[in-house]
Amino acid sequence: MEDMNVEKEKQKEGTASANTGSQSDPRLIAFVCNWCTYNGADLAGTSRMKYSDNVRVIKLPCTGRIDPLFIVEAFKKGAKGVLVSGCHPGDCHYTSGNYHSRRKYATFRDLLGYLGVDLNRVEFSWISASEGNKWVAVINEFTDKIKSLPDKTTDIFTKK
Amino acid sequence: MANTKTDEKLQKIAKDLLESGEVNLIIGYTKGSNPQRMRPVFITKPEEVVKLTFSSNAVQDLAVFLKKQEVKKYGKIGITVKGCDEKAVNALIQEYQLSRDNIKIIGMQCNGVIKQSLADKGETKVSETTVYDKCLICQEHTPVLYDFLVETEEPELSISGNVKPYAEIEKLEAMSAEEKNAYWAKEFDKCIKCYACRQACPLCFCSRCIVEKNMPQWIDTNSEEPGNAQWNLIRAYHLSGRCIGCGECERACPVNIPLMLINEKMARDVYNLFGYKSGLDINAKPVFGVFSENDFNDFIK
Repeated sequence: MEDMNVEKEKQKEGTASANTGSQSDPRLIAFVCNWCTYNGADLAGTSRMKYSDNVRVIKLPCTGRIDPLFIVEAFKKGAKGVLVSGCHPGDCHYTSGNYHSRRKYATFRDLLGYLGVDLNRVEFSWISASEGNKWVAVINEFTDKIKSLPDKTTDIFTKK
Repeated sequence: MANTKTDEKLQKIAKDLLESGEVNLIIGYTKGSNPQRMRPVFITKPEEVVKLTFSSNAVQDLAVFLKKQEVKKYGKIGITVKGCDEKAVNALIQEYQLSRDNIKIIGMQCNGVIKQSLADKGETKVSETTVYDKCLICQEHTPVLYDFLVETEEPELSISGNVKPYAEIEKLEAMSAEEKNAYWAKEFDKCIKCYACRQACPLCFCSRCIVEKNMPQWIDTNSEEPGNAQWNLIRAYHLSGRCIGCGECERACPVNIPLMLINEKMARDVYNLFGYKSGLDINAKPVFGVFSENDFNDFIK
């Protein structure tokens, strides 16, 4: 965390772009469901667990509500990585929202990859309300992965 | 070329349907502005059925008209469809856009349609080098569902395997993300956002398309990146698992973006993932309307 703070200070002083982050401090967006993953993240917070602060959490009722358009929009606005997370299969608060979204995302992910988006930048996970530690692990791993990617920002979402 | 026997049979079916009042409108093909072109025709009077014809130049997917209000108001409709177009009718029935009771399907057996670009130059022979890629992989030369069938007199399409349909898909799949990106960036750069792909598509039936929703504005409407890519991506996504592969979007595209490379790829992926092919069974639930507990889960942590 020390290093990160130093890095942050450096950025405040100068070069980093305003809100989308840089390669060393990338902005990640996490679309999470209200019932499982959000509570998992909440648990991580109340348990005083530390995790990468690059992530911005957007809470929605259910993974079934997370339209692939949201991912597109996040990338378009400059996010370096997008995470979609919800309840484990069988645990959906609305019975089947996550099953439906799993079908959608299996296909949407293929489409993204086919159109030349680096699939390392999109991540999906099932995190329950009791899995604060899994949330921490997923976020930290994802952040590290994005940081390790070459600083290539040209994909179909970048403005020329 | 225009085959009198099939035409006679088609006209007789149409005439009977109109005279008995079973349908109020027949959508079919008629001769176009030159001998190599066909255009759609809408027939409401029995004496007009002589206009109807069919040949290997009948490229258009007439199912696209079924979504139009002007056509819907006729109630009971008869439609002339090839095997591929018929799948669009099935998909519309599956998605409750159409009632099976309100439609009489005149299925046309078809052994491939000649590429319009070649037909305009005078090509009249149906062979594996002159037909569309979709005809080479076609499994439904005889429509899967019909009320009346008009058999073809054309010889069967012989496929030697030398011409590889949608060969680009395998090439693209083998590319790295950067290469794919470069390929598509170049293609989408041409897009002028005319939405002809949407208008020509029999399955794009939303009365209000996502691109017209502006609170919030999801997709940039100016014809430059990244809005172009976004539009094409979202359209492809909305069609995945639904596209029946008629190829009308690609044919309608004024700047020749190879849209079928995306749609065909998504159709293959959906088949690989969920074993579902669109438009084959009117009683099947659409692939994204159902789920299985054992769906592909490998990509989720």
